Amino acid sequence: MEKRVITGNQAIARGFYEAGGRVAASYPGSPTVELLEAIKDYPEIYAEFSTNEKVALEVAIGASMGGVRSLCSMKHVGVNIAMDPLMTFTQTPISGGFVLVTGDDPGMSSSQNEQDNRILGKFANMPILDPSDAQEAKDMTKLAFDLSEQYLRPVMLRITSRLCHSRSIVRLEEPTEPIYKPFVPDTASYCMLPPYTYEAQHRMKDKMAELAQAAADLDINRLEHRSDEVLIITSGLMYHNLRSVSDEISVYKLGLVYPLPIDYIKQLAEKYQRIIVLEEMMPFIEDELKIHGIACEGKNLFSFTGELNIEDIELGLLEGGVLTEAKYAQLRPIETTPRAPLFCAGCPHRPVFDILKKTKAITIGDIGCYSMGLLYPFEVLKTNISMGASLGMVKGMRKAMDMNGDHQPLVAVIGDGTFFHSGLSGFANLQYQMSGEENITYLVLDNSTTAMTGGQPTSGSKSMDGAGQSILLDDVLKSMGFTDIQRIDQFKYKQAAQIIGDAIKRPGIKIIITSRPCALHFKIREPHFYVDPKICIACRSCIRTNCPPLRMKEYEGIGLKSSIDPAQCVGCSICAQVCPVNAIKRFGDEAKGGSDD
Amino acid sequence: MTKNILLAAVGGQGLVLATGILAEVALRAGLDVKTNDVIGLSQRGGKIMGSVVMGDKIHSPNIAPQQGDILIAFEALEAKRMLPYLKDGAIIIKNDYEMAPSLVQQEKREYDPDIDSLLDGKGEVIRLDATAIAKRIGHPAVANILMLGVAARYIEIEDEIWHQVIQEHVPPKSIELNLEAFDLGKAGTY
Repeated sequence: MEKRVITGNQAIARGFYEAGGRVAASYPGSPTVELLEAIKDYPEIYAEFSTNEKVALEVAIGASMGGVRSLCSMKHVGVNIAMDPLMTFTQTPISGGFVLVTGDDPGMSSSQNEQDNRILGKFANMPILDPSDAQEAKDMTKLAFDLSEQYLRPVMLRITSRLCHSRSIVRLEEPTEPIYKPFVPDTASYCMLPPYTYEAQHRMKDKMAELAQAAADLDINRLEHRSDEVLIITSGLMYHNLRSVSDEISVYKLGLVYPLPIDYIKQLAEKYQRIIVLEEMMPFIEDELKIHGIACEGKNLFSFTGELNIEDIELGLLEGGVLTEAKYAQLRPIETTPRAPLFCAGCPHRPVFDILKKTKAITIGDIGCYSMGLLYPFEVLKTNISMGASLGMVKGMRKAMDMNGDHQPLVAVIGDGTFFHSGLSGFANLQYQMSGEENITYLVLDNSTTAMTGGQPTSGSKSMDGAGQSILLDDVLKSMGFTDIQRIDQFKYKQAAQIIGDAIKRPGIKIIITSRPCALHFKIREPHFYVDPKICIACRSCIRTNCPPLRMKEYEGIGLKSSIDPAQCVGCSICAQVCPVNAIKRFGDEAKGGSDD
Repeated sequence: MTKNILLAAVGGQGLVLATGILAEVALRAGLDVKTNDVIGLSQRGGKIMGSVVMGDKIHSPNIAPQQGDILIAFEALEAKRMLPYLKDGAIIIKNDYEMAPSLVQQEKREYDPDIDSLLDGKGEVIRLDATAIAKRIGHPAVANILMLGVAARYIEIEDEIWHQVIQEHVPPKSIELNLEAFDLGKAGTY
């Protein structure tokens, strides 16, 4: 059998292939972006990045009802967007197996919150699987489809960011023959209106109870008995972290974390003196046990937030008296200058935020690379909530301020990816009950890609296979009735600053679309710039643009002046354009100098 | 015998490729292996770290504090940040190349002046300006493979496996340059 070392994301993609899966849909979001990209490598499967998570889920629902095994993947907060169809779809009896992969993010390495989607899985009456490494991610993906079809439930495969990106060894197997169950119209099964929803409640409850009964016999729920004193109930990566601490403790390792084999765990509770639940984030398993009258510990020993690493688990077990001796040291960080992410060299967002910072206008943020405009040194964005939220929020804030006599201008930003994800309805709503006097300036940062997640296409660029019609933002906004729309080249700095500054002063809703593409994704590289230290007056106008290659440097005999690392510079020219004395010039272009051409 | 390897870099320096190559090399040498890439939201410019744990039977891909055997640091400041994860006497492969974080660029902080003394106090340090050497032989982007070559001196896996895996992981037109970078790092004749 061929062995490969692959990531959790790649393993789920492989599992879907081996399970005979045929349709997959997703919206890119860390940590699950790579999953759908890996599925695209199997030509037998139809895979798409849909416009948002709700649409992706609906594509997968349609495919499942249409009779094939389908998968939908998204980051944890994406499930919030998809929750509406999910909560009703879950009432229907599954035809083609259906798996929802949620990428949870304990520790929030790349997310705006730390929600524990096991809660949502339970809420939606879904069985929840929680793999511990890439092999299990593949195996459980296949099992999920079997369970889905056997128990007529959509199944949640919960994977954490650590495991999505963690590689381990996986045995590859041949794919099974794909199923196809032709759609048979059946009002009671697929049309969720009363009275058909009445029976659906019982079906969901009965099927979950049946699975709970069977759960103790599933191979993925495994008892590793050592001694009778303590039993640790755990799942996912926590199992391996625990085993790195000690192999001497009895463990009940769950693969299926909902529904739990409660009757069996009650028997275990009779046998062991103490039950301790080890899980990241919320006390989900712990609460389930307590609801069913099983005495246990858990969050009294382990943090409710962040990842639980090997040393954290050991510390909890020491404090709980399970261990008497520490094998590992606790982390003692050495004070080191922090390194926050920043806009890439040549990033088209840089001049926009440099200009906005100078206007001092209150600016409402949205989700994308440009969210980094809230970080030092720009600190332009004053809010950051969720995808597309800037539209409703800026309107509400405008109304609140105006009714209190505060008419200072408001600015908001949204990227092209977020525009198509969830900005359309917000823009449609923006003009409703507005007098035309309210001062809102909207910057639509069109860089032709979903940049933050690695450059997936948007509806404004083109569909994922390169075919299909791209949708022009400008036309959409015009057809919605917006009249004050301008498309600008933000690399013509002075002109862009003028247009943005003028717009902010005008009453009404003004929309400015910036048009430079993502420098990283489209690999834009022009000849680099350099500083002539004899001309530089060390005013730091260029430095304040926060471009990575720029740094003040001591020149012998001249003093402290600006400098540019040629290895990093991609030649966007913004530093040269903000320089008041033309000290920054393009390499090989001595005569001309930097210009606002 | 388990070997704990840590990698540290700034987003965009090729760390994920390096952990991928280390993982594949370990697999082909018949070892069990698990890795992490913790990249956060840094497409570019933020701090990122990786871990590779190889041996007979591996549970966690994570490395606890003071357990790292080898550190491969693609950037000087990021080498310092990883010190709490290293064993005393660890092998530290340090790229002298410096990338200023925003606070240093904006002159709010000095680029940490104590990096080299701290590294020397921790273990056996191999210093090189991998970015400059890589640029000299053809392209700064192969600095990561050059540093893997240095690390290969301390990982008992034959060159043939390394060469094969590198060939399969890098773009076809840069295979020769990457192999040259690896061999240079391994031999130490840069």
